[in-house]
Amino acid sequence: MINVKQLDFAFDGSSILKDVSIHIEKGECIALFGPNGGGKTTLLNLIMGFYKPVRGSIDVKGSIGYVPQNFPLDPLFPISVLEVVALANRENSRRALEQMGLSSLKMAPFAALSGGQRQRVLLARALACDPDILLLDEPTANVDVQAKELIYGCLSALKGKTTVVMVTHDLQEAEKLADRLYCIENQVREIPREKLCHHFSQGLYHEEVS
Amino acid sequence: MNFLEALLSTPLLQMSFLAIIGTSIASGTLGCYVVVKRIVSISGSIAHSVLSGLGCALFLQRTYGLDWLLPIYGALVAAIISALIIGFVHLYYKQREDTVIAMVWSIGMATGVIFASMTPGFNVELMNFLLGNVLWVSGTDLIILLVLDLIILLSIFIFHKKFLAICFDEKQAKLQGLPVARLYIFLLTLVALSIVLLIHTVGIILVLSMLALPPSIAEKFAYRLSTMMVASVVLNILFSLGGMAISYRLNWPVGATIALFSGVIYLLSIRFKKPMSSLTP
Repeated sequence: MINVKQLDFAFDGSSILKDVSIHIEKGECIALFGPNGGGKTTLLNLIMGFYKPVRGSIDVKGSIGYVPQNFPLDPLFPISVLEVVALANRENSRRALEQMGLSSLKMAPFAALSGGQRQRVLLARALACDPDILLLDEPTANVDVQAKELIYGCLSALKGKTTVVMVTHDLQEAEKLADRLYCIENQVREIPREKLCHHFSQGLYHEEVS
Repeated sequence: MNFLEALLSTPLLQMSFLAIIGTSIASGTLGCYVVVKRIVSISGSIAHSVLSGLGCALFLQRTYGLDWLLPIYGALVAAIISALIIGFVHLYYKQREDTVIAMVWSIGMATGVIFASMTPGFNVELMNFLLGNVLWVSGTDLIILLVLDLIILLSIFIFHKKFLAICFDEKQAKLQGLPVARLYIFLLTLVALSIVLLIHTVGIILVLSMLALPPSIAEKFAYRLSTMMVASVVLNILFSLGGMAISYRLNWPVGATIALFSGVIYLLSIRFKKPMSSLTP
C-alpha cells in the first residue's frame, strides 16, 4: 500500500530525512514517534505528495485521508461543521459526524469549537471520504480523555480495513493499537514492542539510539 | 431637488444606479473570497496595475486613431496579465510573494503614468479611471459591465463549492484531487474582472473599498459564506447609494465619497466581536 525506498529529503540544504525505507501493507496500523523536528510530519507530507524526495522513491496505492496536527484556522471564517465535512464528501458527512459524536454540533460554526472538537471534525472529514489510507498527525494532542477514547475506538474499528499511519507521542495507546512502531529522528528505525516502554515512556529517544 | 427625486427623474443618475447595482453584486460576492482567502493586498496590486492597460489603450487610441480600442479593453488585458503573474508567483515562488506583489503594483502604475505623459490632449478620462466617476458611465460601458457581471456570477454559481474548498484548506483540496493551482488562478482572474467593473464606480485607487470593506463587515455577522455574500452585496449597494446621496448633497466626488462612507462604517464595525460561545451546546 505504501512503499518508501531509500528516501532522502532535505529542506534549504539541511537534511531532514536520510535513507528511509518503510513498507506498509494494506490494513496495517503504524505508529511514528520521535523528538520534535525529527521528520515525522515531513514523512507524512512526502507520502501525500506535497514534498518531493531528493533521492529514493515513494509508491502509494489508494486514496488518502489526512488529519493535520495544527490547522491554520481563520477565527472569522464563516463555515459550519457540516460544511467542513461535506466539502470532502456530502453523502457520508452526517454518518462521519455521528461516528465522531458530533451530530449535535453539525450546524455550529467550525471556529466556535474547542481544539479537541475541531480535531474530531477533521477526523470526521477524513473518514467521510472512506480513504484507503488514513494519515494522522498527533490526533489526540489537544483532546480530552473522553474524546481520546472516542478517537482510539474509531481507529480500532478501522484496523484491518484501512491502512493507518499515525504520528503520536501517546506511546501507551500507540503500543496497544499499532502493528508496528517506528522512531523517526532523521532516520527511521523500527522499535520492538518490549523496548518501547523501557526507553521511550519518558521521551528518551536518544538513549535508544546510542 | 433631493437625491431620490433626482434619481427618479434624471437618466444620467439612473444609468449610474444600474452600474452600481451591477458592480455591487459582482464585487460583493467575489469580495467574500478575497477576504476569507486573505488576498486583499493581491487584489490591490492587480487594481493598481490596471493603470498600465488604461494608459496604453488611451495612448494607442489617440495617437493612432484606433477609436474601437476602449480604455476598458486595456484595463481588462492588464488586470488579467497581473492576476496571472501574481498567481504563478503565489503557487511556485512563495518566498518572495510580497515583493512581487509590490513590483506588479508599482510597475503597473509607472507604465500607466508614462503612457499618460506621451498621450496627446488632456487626460480627463484617465483621471476618471483613477478616482472613479459613476456618473460618467455610458450605454456601451453599461453593456460591458453587465456582460462581465454575468460571467462572474455564472462562474461563482458553478465553482462556489470548489472555491470554498481552496479558501478553507488548500491541502485537503489537493488530497481530494481538486486542481488547486488552476482554481486559484481562475479565482484571481475573476477578481481581475471585478476590479475592471469597479473602476467605473470608485476608480483604481479606491477599488479595495468596495471589494474588501463590505465583505469584511459582513464576515463579522455571518456564519456561512453564502450568508456573508448576501450581506456583502446588500452593504455594497447601501454604501454606494449612501455615498452617491452624500456626494450629491455636498457636491463631493462620487467615488471618493463612496469609499470614505464605506471606510467610516468599517471603522465603526471594528469593535464588534463575532459572538461564538453561545453557538455551541
